[in-house]
Amino acid sequence: MNTGWTVRILGVVIAILLVVPTIVICATAFTSGSSVTFPPDGFSFRWIDEVLGDRRWMRAFGNSFAVGLLSALFAMLAGTALALGAARAKGAMASVFTAVSVLPMILPLVVGAIGFYLVYARLGLTGNVLGLALAHGVLGLPYVFVNVLALLRTLDPRIEEAARVHGAGQFVTLLTVTLPMIAPATIVGGLLAFISSWDEVVVAVFLSDARFQTLPVLMYGQIRSGVEPSVSAVALIVTVVTFAIALIVFAIGPIRARLAQRSSR
Amino acid sequence: MGGILTHQRGGRRWWISVGLLGLLFVVLALILPLAIVVQRSFDAGFGNFADALASASFIRSIGNTATLAVTVTLSSAVIGYPYAYAMARSGPALSKILMTALMLSFWTSLLVRSYAWQVLLNDTGLINQLLRASGIIDEPLQLIRTPMATLIGMTHILVPFTILAIYAQLRGISPDLAIAARGLGATRARAFWSVTFPLSIPGLAAGSLLVFVLTLGFYITPQLLGGAGNQVIGQSIVEQTNALLNTGVGSAMAVLLLLAVIVILAIASRFLGLGRVLGIATEGKSS
Repeated sequence: MNTGWTVRILGVVIAILLVVPTIVICATAFTSGSSVTFPPDGFSFRWIDEVLGDRRWMRAFGNSFAVGLLSALFAMLAGTALALGAARAKGAMASVFTAVSVLPMILPLVVGAIGFYLVYARLGLTGNVLGLALAHGVLGLPYVFVNVLALLRTLDPRIEEAARVHGAGQFVTLLTVTLPMIAPATIVGGLLAFISSWDEVVVAVFLSDARFQTLPVLMYGQIRSGVEPSVSAVALIVTVVTFAIALIVFAIGPIRARLAQRSSR
Repeated sequence: MGGILTHQRGGRRWWISVGLLGLLFVVLALILPLAIVVQRSFDAGFGNFADALASASFIRSIGNTATLAVTVTLSSAVIGYPYAYAMARSGPALSKILMTALMLSFWTSLLVRSYAWQVLLNDTGLINQLLRASGIIDEPLQLIRTPMATLIGMTHILVPFTILAIYAQLRGISPDLAIAARGLGATRARAFWSVTFPLSIPGLAAGSLLVFVLTLGFYITPQLLGGAGNQVIGQSIVEQTNALLNTGVGSAMAVLLLLAVIVILAIASRFLGLGRVLGIATEGKSS
């Protein structure tokens, strides 16, 4: 049975409302005027060029990229270890592993931000890539955990048993049999963790300083101090990178349903 | 047989130690900082909590946050339900278009979307242009820096969670049930309200709960779209720690916020199952 026309029309109207903000920002990035208006005044690459030629924006771009990569690496290592523990340790420890992996999902970012700030500042982990990557790594870990756990549940345990029966030790089996089998899930989780770091603002604001800023931090500062089209150009660049990674994620797997598993806070 | 048993027992210890490596990372990188927040919140006994709760602006921000969470949850449900329904129950072409639109929006960063709404709701923004062009108003409406602006931006950011939860639930309900109801003489509306809708409630509830809890911790969107008088809890916390440099009171507020989130999830998980809300339980069948 198909839906009635009212529901379909309603669906299309809401779909337009959902994409309008993204479209508006992309359009204003190409304005040739000097204010952010929609519809934009004319078409030019003026603001994109300006951003690409601006040292400050480009440094922030590099910082964001470095933090994203390192945090994805942390998330992949820790998230995979926790998923393996949660799926196979059974009993109380498995519940602990799950609880700990879910915590970053429900944690309000402001609460985490204060904690990171209080501890990391004392350890010299503010104003640099490592500190923010540790924080973003732990916040991105649930994406890896959830994806790897789901894949682990579908694995045939006999494959690993076969390796063991043929004399492989636990470590060798993990390294040469289990990890390669779950690699697609680990990578998808890592990409999602990268994206969550790539556009995270609150924690990044707390852990940055005047000399070290990520793209969202710099953007947030610009939006608050007065908007000009260069902000839209940066927003466009941020969005294009995210969409490119999203396409890779879609391409990797039949893991489509889990794409939804991205937090927006 | 004994061999396999010992193998499994040894295996369990092995997997615990693998998991512990991940646990160690979370403990050092996150749990320790959270423990410090709790410790800092008690550095004056209950004094910081007393100060927090005695602050009129904090109490007001609790009220604002509760109102915002309820309104965002309700508007997400009202907007999200028909969307999820159209996605689940119409032809493949429309389904695909709706899913693509949803993903385009969902994958646009929260900061970019908040910024976009700032541009749209400005005095010279698209909404005011349209209202003026259609002759409804002469002077621009004050849309930005109002509770309404925050509500619009937050709903736009969070409605995908409601949509996806309802969609997953609706996909699990056979359309044959509604067809059978129609065959037995029910109108389309009756078939929906007495068959499909009741079966979809768990998805609606899970999505709504998630949206409600996520709203409690928001900071960026209210900061960019809301007015000075509509501060939410997240803004109170940042104000205490950053502007007033009062990390003790800020930490106390943060502990209260975290406690509220945990209590709400704990109560709700008795009815819904936490795994469902966070999307873990449904994982098995989705691949």
